[in-house]
Amino acid sequence: MAASAFGARRESRPGNSRLPRRGRHRAHGTEAALAPGCLPPDVLEGAVLARCPSCHNTFSTEQSGRQTCPVCGKPLLVPEPNVAPPPPAAELVREGAGTPWERRAELGFWTGWGQTLQQALLEPGRLFAEARLDRGAAQLGFAVFTTSVFWAVGQILERMLLHGQTERMRQLIAAVAQNPDIAPMLKRMLQVQTDASTPEAVISLAALTPVFAFVLLYLNAGVTHAVAALLRQAKRGFPATFAACAYSCAPLVLLAVPACGWIVGTIWLVILTGIGMKVTHRISTAGAAASVLVPYLLICCLGFLAMGTLAVTLRNTLQP
Amino acid sequence: MSFVRAGPPSVHALGLAGTGALLLLAAAALPVDTPLLALFACPFRAATSLPCFGCGLTHAFQFAIRGQLASAVSSSPLGALLAGAAAVHALWTALRLAGLPYAPRIAPPGASWRWACALAVVANWIYLLLRNAP
Repeated sequence: MAASAFGARRESRPGNSRLPRRGRHRAHGTEAALAPGCLPPDVLEGAVLARCPSCHNTFSTEQSGRQTCPVCGKPLLVPEPNVAPPPPAAELVREGAGTPWERRAELGFWTGWGQTLQQALLEPGRLFAEARLDRGAAQLGFAVFTTSVFWAVGQILERMLLHGQTERMRQLIAAVAQNPDIAPMLKRMLQVQTDASTPEAVISLAALTPVFAFVLLYLNAGVTHAVAALLRQAKRGFPATFAACAYSCAPLVLLAVPACGWIVGTIWLVILTGIGMKVTHRISTAGAAASVLVPYLLICCLGFLAMGTLAVTLRNTLQP
Repeated sequence: MSFVRAGPPSVHALGLAGTGALLLLAAAALPVDTPLLALFACPFRAATSLPCFGCGLTHAFQFAIRGQLASAVSSSPLGALLAGAAAVHALWTALRLAGLPYAPRIAPPGASWRWACALAVVANWIYLLLRNAP
């Protein structure tokens, strides 16, 4: 049997040592004092007000635990008085010491870049845990440097190594372009392709890769952060998303590999972005995966939906 | 929207402003309707003959930077909104670099904002579907 403590802890008056173990009723005029069967009004100096669940009289007591009701004499249990809950403690967040790239001033440029690249590819969780969110400029520099240099190298290598294949494609297009029905468009394509294959154009495109890398990085971070915010997964703001996206550019060193490097690099980038979102935002694996993959999943789902609609429409059309 | 006193823009504010400005400049300068750029067809539309979420964004930016707002909204309402946001953010960041000591107060998006954004994306896609319907 439990009594309900409904009053706050009252101030005890000093020098009133005659307060008995049993609680005594409240002062004259109170609900408790007017209740039938009450003790005569007296000065009440208990610390806690309690209500007997049997007789519903209110009494005061200085102690909690098992005791008897001073009115009806039935046993009851006075719970611990309500204590105000402590204010919510701030989350203790251990800020990373900085990735090797962010500490390149002490490690050296190439050592910092190499160690960061190695950690991103082999120990991404450790790298993202060490990333500092106030080093956005350094992270931007790592991503733009890594992406643009290897992208430019890849363009030049592709031009050198795949020149024969490109030339055959150009001859094929030139042969097809002799057809007067499709000549204008193909001739224009041929001209554009020829212009884009000149060394000047390749070097110009290679020189512009830092700009492309910069824009693509911020677009990727913006879309990823928008989706994460929609899914309530952006716990630590845009800098955390940006750090994840920036260090996820490490696999783009594979852009230097002609033909297939960009495929492997892009898939690796998406996976690393998910790991980065999980660590930098301190969210669940599912939340991170959803934040990164939802745009792709939406497009795929729409594709299947559209395919199904087209299939049904086609079947209905072909049925007699 | 309220404003607060603020110092110089952050790195990411500068980066996002630069990205927006570059996209608007590219939309203004590049001939998106002539080869080679016109040959980059949307793979989703090529496979399904339906527009994707992002279809019309390039043209929306192109029309918006040239002041043809009705055409921009017609191409993609969400694209026109994004182009406007990019222009405003780039301009505001430039002003802050020049010494303007105010920045908009941006609170974390609440549930209503998140739902509104999701609905805006879906509504934009439905508009694109209806616009391209035979």
